[in-house]
Amino acid sequence: MRDVAIIGVGIIPFGRRDEDSLLDMLAYASLKALDDAGIGDQGVDAVYVANMGAGILQHQTSVASALVDRLSLMPAAADAVENGPASGASAIKNGLLAVASGYYDTVLVAGGEKMREVVGWKATDFVATMTHPEVEYPYGITLPGMAGMFTRLYMEKYGLTQEQLMAVAIKNQKMGTLNPYAHVDMIITREGIQESPDAVVNNPVAADPLHFYDMCPVSDGAAAVILCPAEKAKEISQNTPVIIAGFGQATDTHTLQEREDPTNLKAVTLAAKQAFKMANLTPNDVDVAELHDAFTVLEIAESEHVGFFKKGEGGKAAEKGETTLTGKIPINVSGGLKARGHPVGATGVAQVVEIVFQLRHALDKNRQVKNAKVGFTLNFGGFGNNVVAFVLRRSE
Amino acid sequence: MKRELRITAYKCKACGRIHYPYHDRCLSCQNREFESIKPEGDPRLLTYTQIFNLPWGFDVRFLVIGVVEFANGVKSMGQIHVDSIDKLELGMSLKASWEPIRVVSGEDVFGLVLRPN
Amino acid sequence: MALDMELESVLRAPALEMPPYPAKVITLANSKKMVVRQAKRTEVPTLLGAVRPTLAIDKDFYDIVGARLYAELLGWNRHRVRNEYCLVGQIDGYVVGIVNGRMVDKAIGMSYHTMAIDRGLKIGTHLFAAKMEYHIEHLGQEEVWITAESPIGFRRWMIEYDLIQQEGVQHELGGATSYKLTRDLYFASKSRLFAGQRPVPQDLLDYALQNLFIADGKAIKEKICGTLGGQQ
Repeated sequence: MRDVAIIGVGIIPFGRRDEDSLLDMLAYASLKALDDAGIGDQGVDAVYVANMGAGILQHQTSVASALVDRLSLMPAAADAVENGPASGASAIKNGLLAVASGYYDTVLVAGGEKMREVVGWKATDFVATMTHPEVEYPYGITLPGMAGMFTRLYMEKYGLTQEQLMAVAIKNQKMGTLNPYAHVDMIITREGIQESPDAVVNNPVAADPLHFYDMCPVSDGAAAVILCPAEKAKEISQNTPVIIAGFGQATDTHTLQEREDPTNLKAVTLAAKQAFKMANLTPNDVDVAELHDAFTVLEIAESEHVGFFKKGEGGKAAEKGETTLTGKIPINVSGGLKARGHPVGATGVAQVVEIVFQLRHALDKNRQVKNAKVGFTLNFGGFGNNVVAFVLRRSE
Repeated sequence: MKRELRITAYKCKACGRIHYPYHDRCLSCQNREFESIKPEGDPRLLTYTQIFNLPWGFDVRFLVIGVVEFANGVKSMGQIHVDSIDKLELGMSLKASWEPIRVVSGEDVFGLVLRPN
Repeated sequence: MALDMELESVLRAPALEMPPYPAKVITLANSKKMVVRQAKRTEVPTLLGAVRPTLAIDKDFYDIVGARLYAELLGWNRHRVRNEYCLVGQIDGYVVGIVNGRMVDKAIGMSYHTMAIDRGLKIGTHLFAAKMEYHIEHLGQEEVWITAESPIGFRRWMIEYDLIQQEGVQHELGGATSYKLTRDLYFASKSRLFAGQRPVPQDLLDYALQNLFIADGKAIKEKICGTLGGQQ
């Protein structure tokens, strides 16, 4: 199998984009990626589009075919990829395998979601469709609710504290203010969300024991990447190629109740292990990581399950500042899902775009991890029942 | 009127693992033959949460939802009808019943409802 | 404009005594301090400048809320609405939110509008709560009638405050069925919905009283609308 490089990336600011349709956003991000790769006036062999909700929210299906038409990329092969919140990474995985196999040479992978078209309660319901349709969904469970139940157990088992969760929220929102593509541009403080008597209104309980600022926002947005064989990267594009050195994907039971230990994110551990093995690297080799912090607890739990910290130590590490830009392992310096936002289908692609920026050394000093050579992404589908991980490295 | 709990769990005939919801193959040994069983005994609370931002279709301020394990090993999610989450603790015993848990198109949808003893 | 006081005496309804709203300061999630105080009639022309840009924003019903709030403030300023009040939220002097309402009589309050100009800091939540506090605790009323133009906001308050539906009872603003907040409901929710500390530090209060700034129209539109569309 051939090595695969990312030679172009595109992303549009996440947030509330009332004036843009889903196809608009996918097109904008895709054109940016094509232009970035230097093939803005050319075709591609295949297109993969990551999206979870167009059928429900926009009453639109076959979005990959629609994007190909919109961008005049016919007769490219095109597939839509749906894997819940891991749709983005799944789409990249599909594109990667297509190029690695030798069958396609240039592949566009775009991910997008338009969630703010509906009222919040309907967006919550749409996301909840990921839960088991017979034994979970009817009860009114939400993904924040799943995270709340998980957090309660994690606190019980590992002594995770509210302060540790807050450290993640504060860090990611601060980094979001430095990211021009981030949905949330607002610093929060411990005083404002915990210490002040007014914090009870500022930061109410959302899904006990998780609070409002433990949650990511509901966002619109899109991101895209261009893949090609690593051996051809230099002849196609001027950009420093970023190699997808390894990937992993694993699944777990659909319902939380059927996991032997619900605090054990087995699919995360397995996906990460596969990715590191393929890349012939270890968690210690990672210079910068994008983890799936739809809820602050997940950044902490994932940082442990992928191997950055021992179980029960991730929260303490966050509190001590070990996951900041200049920390031992910078995590979510983009602001993460927490501040960059979480347009579900776009997120996995946006994580990879961020790591490409990092590995190209293309960012301003206040966001650039010094001399980053190896990056890691984790895209968490469902509530940990389908997880995709990538290890990326700067070429040369 | 006390309704029977309409939960059917599936016990693998080969290894005895209990499944709920249904799986076509055993999660442990891939066997395809199961014995249907009902939950027995009082459920014990495994985890819970109080959710304030509810999905469309619920007109209440919050829901308390938990996962319980019945005495014979059947596990299920349920709504906990309690006025304060402070009355709950992990591992406590609850009473189970089969009651309306939501309304869809004007019709009651029934499910597992739990209350402190 | 010179007023004919003989005409005014006919056109101005006698006012109920309305104790002033005691200013308070709320620490927001980003540690900024929002002073919540009662606006003066003389400040209405400035406040209208903050409301005017919203007339062109149709998302989230800002245009209709803005148009009605504009009329209500003008009506209050010219003494053509009886027993009206207006509270403002200010951060560093800048108006970030406006709420208003009036006393129908000693027992019943009528909530008018809530407009948040800066979003993401629960300003609307805080200011709506402040006006409920004003009606119940400071004006000493028994209940406050509420309705809304935005179905989203309305549903949120209806559920959050557990409001009592008043089938067949029309709110002054017309529209959907009215709901009411009673004294009992207010005190039951107070600990989780009401924020703010008194007294406001004197320097903060003086600054807010002496400086009523409004952002320019473009900034207001961006604050409310978020990212504008198109390729970026």
